[in-house]
Amino acid sequence: MTQTKLLIIDDDPDYVDGIKSILEKADYSVDVAYNPKDGFKALESGNYDLLLLDIMMGRGAEGVMVARKINKDPKLRNIPVLIITGIREQIAFLFPGQPVHPRFLPTDELLEKPVDPKFLLEKVAALLEEAKAKKAE
Amino acid sequence: MAAKPTFSQEISNLLYASHGNPLKTCIQCGTCSGTCPVAEFMDQTPRRLIGMINADLKEDVLKCNTYWFCASCFHCTVRCPAGIDIADAMYAVKRYSIWHKTYSEDLVGPTFSETFVKTIARSGRSYEPILAPTYMFSMGIKEVLQEAYMATQMMLKGRMPVLPAKIKRLDNFKEMIRRIIPVGGAE
Repeated sequence: MTQTKLLIIDDDPDYVDGIKSILEKADYSVDVAYNPKDGFKALESGNYDLLLLDIMMGRGAEGVMVARKINKDPKLRNIPVLIITGIREQIAFLFPGQPVHPRFLPTDELLEKPVDPKFLLEKVAALLEEAKAKKAE
Repeated sequence: MAAKPTFSQEISNLLYASHGNPLKTCIQCGTCSGTCPVAEFMDQTPRRLIGMINADLKEDVLKCNTYWFCASCFHCTVRCPAGIDIADAMYAVKRYSIWHKTYSEDLVGPTFSETFVKTIARSGRSYEPILAPTYMFSMGIKEVLQEAYMATQMMLKGRMPVLPAKIKRLDNFKEMIRRIIPVGGAE
């Protein structure tokens, strides 16, 4: 059986190290891109089963753009996307008291940093399962 | 599979959408430092800051006040013979230090930017009487009085609004911001 391939797009190397080791221990094969441009290229060339996406990268909320671009691409649209973001800490002063809307982007799931490892693995497994079921249909 | 990026690569990741050349193309000519109007207030000149970033001196770069003193006049960007967007690089380091919370507490810059963005997002216009308190307390009595005198003069001449101004069709504008940074109840 081939390993499930995940891609992380996040610009914070320390954070990436953290979730990467969690996911690799759970027997996923994990690739990393440290900026949205490389990430999108990798996504187009590689055959990934799940994408873990950060929001605050590059000039600002670049992750939002990546998510929208993926949603427009008929080939990439089927890849489940899990957003992991620290957006509330970074810019939520703009929207005081408002929660991060879980469906603010056309993606599957949203987690806020800091993420609990167990919770992360549960979410990843659930999303993969869901995608598999969709494919089988 | 990318290797773990160094500090200079992290900064260039923040700059990947910028139109200028990468910082690595810097020839250390010092034109940026020579033209910078606020260079005398910085502890490291822009040229040195670029050199430090290229040398991966992360702690030293984040410790200095250069990027917070940048007045964003873009003189360095215009004059750089290597075509580096230096002002944008300053913004990249600012973003880095805000997102990683590495700036020192007594700095005016972060709170000032935060308040500025907040007033813009709320009313579409900046409003000086709200902005002023973010830096007022770091000044001496004399400067504060001078500032207050100046503000009154400007208000009397109609150069500064007494009440916060609002733009037309503010709701559309707010919707626009939500499209860019979708936090909160946007569907």
